[in-house]
Amino acid sequence: MIKVTNLKKKFIKQVNGKKTNEFFAVNDISFEAHDGQIIGILGPNGAGKTTLLRMIGGILNPTSGSIFFDNMSYQKNELQIKQQIAYLSGNTKIYKSISAYELLKMCCEFYKVPSEDIEKRIKEIAKTLEMESFLYNRIENLSTGQAQRVNIARCLIHNPKYYILDEATSGLDIISSQIILDFIKKEKKKKKIILYSTHYMEEAENICDLVFMVNKGKVIKSGTPEQIKKETKTTNLRDSFFFLIGGVDNEK
Amino acid sequence: MKNNTFLVLKKELREVFRDKKSLAMMLIVPFMIPLLVIGMSALFDSNVSKGVDQVFTIGFDYQLSDIEKEIAKNNNIKVKIEEDSKLKKLCQEEKISLYITKNKDSYTINYDQNKEKSNLALTVAEEFLNQYKVYLQNNYLENVHIDSNKVLNILAIDYKKIGKEEDNFYASYVTSYAFLFVIMAITISATYPATDTTAGEKERGTLETLLTFPIKSKDIIIGKFLSVSLSSVITGVLSFILAIISLIYAGGAFDIYKDINIIPNIPTIVITIFIIICYSLLISGLCIAIASKSKTFKEAQSALTPITFISFFPGIIAFLTNIKTSTILAIIPFINYTQIFTDVSANRINYFYISLMVLSTFVYIGLVIGYIIKQYKSEKVLFNN
Repeated sequence: MIKVTNLKKKFIKQVNGKKTNEFFAVNDISFEAHDGQIIGILGPNGAGKTTLLRMIGGILNPTSGSIFFDNMSYQKNELQIKQQIAYLSGNTKIYKSISAYELLKMCCEFYKVPSEDIEKRIKEIAKTLEMESFLYNRIENLSTGQAQRVNIARCLIHNPKYYILDEATSGLDIISSQIILDFIKKEKKKKKIILYSTHYMEEAENICDLVFMVNKGKVIKSGTPEQIKKETKTTNLRDSFFFLIGGVDNEK
Repeated sequence: MKNNTFLVLKKELREVFRDKKSLAMMLIVPFMIPLLVIGMSALFDSNVSKGVDQVFTIGFDYQLSDIEKEIAKNNNIKVKIEEDSKLKKLCQEEKISLYITKNKDSYTINYDQNKEKSNLALTVAEEFLNQYKVYLQNNYLENVHIDSNKVLNILAIDYKKIGKEEDNFYASYVTSYAFLFVIMAITISATYPATDTTAGEKERGTLETLLTFPIKSKDIIIGKFLSVSLSSVITGVLSFILAIISLIYAGGAFDIYKDINIIPNIPTIVITIFIIICYSLLISGLCIAIASKSKTFKEAQSALTPITFISFFPGIIAFLTNIKTSTILAIIPFINYTQIFTDVSANRINYFYISLMVLSTFVYIGLVIGYIIKQYKSEKVLFNN
């Protein structure tokens, strides 16, 4: 289980080294994610989704609040938690000068996969994601879709319990996006916990068990997609979101 | 199970050795050193040998006697006899190096002070007139039945070299500059991988991936530091080996190194490699510290440009001012490496100063690594946006 309580992140805007403005990118967010759940974090660009997931992924330190992974916290068990996390975002790029095989081997070593299991594990993942034909090619020579599969493979290689996927399909073509969505569904069946942020509302509606709509650092609505649509009397999550923020004009 | 620092080091080294630019910086720059050593030696050699075997054409506005012709021949002088006005024109056109005019017993050497050849011929012309003067003096004294040897050599002047043979000016000059170029090669070699591993990794978006791995910032920094240091040490040692090879070649090829041994001895080589390692570690740490604050590769490169000069100039100043190593200088970074090298290459090995240099280097490296680890915990540094 992932338990996030009253999480806040304050940033200070600086212009030419001078402090100009303080603001909360994440402002008092709490939620729980249970085994086998896909949690959707929805919101427009700049809503605070990336900051929230970076804190949960242990890349950023929260200003206040707490994050627990099955009663483990970053303060006491940073490496144990990171050992069980797979973090995939539009910002997490992969090393291009090495081959997919070398990258996966490197990840196995970082995640302390026993050395005798490494080869077997790489072969399994390569087969699952249909990467065998380009496993030994340098990543710089792969197509976007192939590179994305390698990126997913590096997340799977250590058999993590928690997936943090931040705008993982953003900017990808329809085939590459589908690879990721299929992968999420498969991992859900294995009782993994998946935190999935996106600004594609339709995508979230299709795969998420629970949705948190975020705007300006705050959760403006949470529940199952069906609940949210029912409560906002809308037919899709996109309309629900606009209903909740009072329309595009109000947001502007 | 391998330790995380080693894993980061392995990853970084793989990137350094697969990056053509990093490899070029690491391996091509050292090849400038033989060019420098041989080029400088050739320049000194040509300057020293200039005028020794060279034939100068000297004009005269009078007919030379047989004895003057003989002296001229012995001094490699080609004689050109013309009128004064014509000689001046010939000298301006550089057809003759200079010319000598005579008025009764007074001789005038006319030379163009702005022309190198004219200046070089001046010594030869002076020698020519001096030898002729001695001949006339001998002749005069013999005519009046006086032993010319007793009069002309009433005072004996002898020359004795008291400097150590290994303190040859040219040798110490060339070896000092070769060392400075080794230092500069190390600096240049450190800047590229340091930029690539920090600002480059940030720009490419792989830093965020690295931060998601179960590794402590300390392991990331030490791994990166060791990889940059290792590439700098490779450059430094390669540069030094090439410097020694070129000194061996220059020692046999140029007369300025005749009768002296310019090849460093074993203690000098060992201590110099030690200096190279210390310098490589320090400069790698400094480069990473500076580059890690930059948002982009380009910004980091601009920020690192001054360090190339900063690393080079204290050494030049130390050489030019000929200052002596002291306790204070032994702990001042950049100057201490040059000073210790100068001492060691002159066979003045002071283990106290060497220990101070090593200790102070490790203190500075500790401070620099501490600073970088702090940087890598700062969100402002890690995330550009």
